[in-house]
Amino acid sequence: MIKELTKGVFKENAIFVMGIGLCPTLGVSTKVVNALGMGAGVIFVLICSNIMISLLKDFIPNKVRIPAYIVVIASFTAVVEMVMQAYTPGLFRTLGVFVPLIAVNCVIFARAEVFAGKHTILPSILDALGAGIGFTLGLLVIALIREVLGSGTITLFPLGSFEGVIDIPVLINSPVRIVGLSAGALFVIGFLQAFLNWYIAKKKEVK
Amino acid sequence: MKKILLIGLKLGLICMVTSLSLGFVNVVTFPSIAKNKEIALQKALAIVNSTGTPGEEIFVNGDSVVKSYYPVKLNNGEINSYIITLIGEGYGGDLFLLANYEKSGKLIASVLMEHKETPGLGDSAERSFYHTKFIGKGDDTPIPTKKSELSVADADAIGGATITFLGVANALRYGSDYAKKIGEKK
Repeated sequence: MIKELTKGVFKENAIFVMGIGLCPTLGVSTKVVNALGMGAGVIFVLICSNIMISLLKDFIPNKVRIPAYIVVIASFTAVVEMVMQAYTPGLFRTLGVFVPLIAVNCVIFARAEVFAGKHTILPSILDALGAGIGFTLGLLVIALIREVLGSGTITLFPLGSFEGVIDIPVLINSPVRIVGLSAGALFVIGFLQAFLNWYIAKKKEVK
Repeated sequence: MKKILLIGLKLGLICMVTSLSLGFVNVVTFPSIAKNKEIALQKALAIVNSTGTPGEEIFVNGDSVVKSYYPVKLNNGEINSYIITLIGEGYGGDLFLLANYEKSGKLIASVLMEHKETPGLGDSAERSFYHTKFIGKGDDTPIPTKKSELSVADADAIGGATITFLGVANALRYGSDYAKKIGEKK
């Protein structure tokens, strides 16, 4: 059972291994706080939609399963959107257009089609949790590299007297601007994928 | 035929249940969303207003850029400036701005209240320093709407988000002309 949880984090990581969910990854990974907010939203929608689809798998006719999945996923996304707008307006403003776009995130749809539609609730929850954590971790690593190099800052949630922004000396005055742009995101993802492939190949050689 | 009807019914039932659930979430969250919008508006008004007391909001019909305005009055009742609600065209959709102008059209202060610009690029327009390049302009010197009208540092700062700049700048210039127009009338 634990395999269902860990496979989404490493072996079947959505961004680095499967190469899905790249649109929101490119758009949102400019700040660490955006990655955290987007990751939380995706994990919530993933778990809820996997539970619902797993529950309804015998009720949903096979011929219309895709529109049914879309209705379920879009509804949970709308819930996230309204709750964020009501209780975390700052984060909602920052994430902007990417919140409604959770509905068309391939990671969520892939887990619904490949896993939740064929399995019971508990494995579906673990699968959703693993895929969500894997996506969030990937997003966080990319956002951290892009924000540090591209803006010279690390933006987190403000807490008390802490304004939420950590300035990185030297880089704050002369950031590598390209890393902050969409092209920079592709570079970062490419280099991280290359590093992962090299690491996996090296591990295999040792074995 | 019966089979198709059953499939349609099942799909309809799923849609109905999700619609009802969304309606419930909307009822629960709506008061907080409305309250947040009011707080944001009051905050924006406090940021741009330093010239007097804003009067009642006057809505403008048939204008795609100016949504409404507040005449700002001095203690003696004389209108000193106009706070105008503007809608600009950004990269991700509409940009909602609030700007305070003297009757001559000179921009006193402006703030971007709502937008859907790209995080990390166009969203820098919501920061106060972004608006310094427009402030104090609008009477003798027009509000800059081209990169070539900016200083090198300002032009560099908007790199990667030119459409956002155009949306903000064009709306602010339109607002300046509008303030001149209503300033002359009253």
